[in-house]
Amino acid sequence: MGRDFSGRDFLEETDRKVSLVFAAEVVQKVNKMIAMGQYGRLFAVVHFASKQWKITSEDLIMMDNVLEAECGDRIRMEKVLLVGADDFTLIGRPLLGKDLVRVEATVIEKTESWPKINMRFRRRHNYQKKKIIVNPQTVLRINTIEIFPCLS
Amino acid sequence: MVLLSAPRWLRSRLTDRFWRVQEVLKYARHFRGRKNRCYSLAIRSVRRAFVKSTKARREKKRFLRALWITRIEAASLEHGLKYPSFISNLLKSQVELNRKMIADLAIYEPKTFKSLAALAQRRRQEGFLAALGDGKEPEGIFSRIVHHC
Repeated sequence: MGRDFSGRDFLEETDRKVSLVFAAEVVQKVNKMIAMGQYGRLFAVVHFASKQWKITSEDLIMMDNVLEAECGDRIRMEKVLLVGADDFTLIGRPLLGKDLVRVEATVIEKTESWPKINMRFRRRHNYQKKKIIVNPQTVLRINTIEIFPCLS
Repeated sequence: MVLLSAPRWLRSRLTDRFWRVQEVLKYARHFRGRKNRCYSLAIRSVRRAFVKSTKARREKKRFLRALWITRIEAASLEHGLKYPSFISNLLKSQVELNRKMIADLAIYEPKTFKSLAALAQRRRQEGFLAALGDGKEPEGIFSRIVHHC
């Protein structure tokens, strides 16, 4: 961006106050929208099983590892990085508060992956190894994503 | 009388050769040419295929990341930012979305990506002010570090 920084007029004191007031207004508007329920489908970015997932309600998620919960257990995912709707997004730095978002999921099935083949081969040296790897997998269904109007 | 060693006409011969061969050929059925039918040709191709798939599993992570970076670069240039400044300013504002997520948001949630680009741009300007202003300007809003308990 070709802007000129030689003058100090970029962010003067009055500009700063205006932007702070604007920010407070925006926060209040968003809070009211959440309180009135004027949002459609919510999506969330959640950090789970050392991966980040972009999820909505009624989503299916498959993790490549085991979860110590039985099938049918309800789980709450706590590390939420971002929540968005059509008109607003709440970006966490880096996480959003637990009193702000609630993401619930149910464990649906625990299976094993298809047998993956690990093979090493060196030609002319009579060296080959074959290993079949089967990972345990867990399937979760995201039930709900809820937000509460407690922005400040 | 008890015979202590087996007689010479008693041989142990392979009876399941068919299934052992089928185990290899089943992985070669979709190949082209004689290597989908003939065992000697198939065993070589199948071995190469397994080794290539093993190595590709490690490289997939590399080229997917390169793909995400390309997509994020394209999307951020649409909003007037280059990729290095976009990513570095997002990290400085303590937003820890990884590249897969940002690329997905750029495709499916354009408004959210626009707000992320605006955040990065604002943090960039505050960084310039802090560097050029030498302490006479007050600190930027988005440069404040949030501490969680």
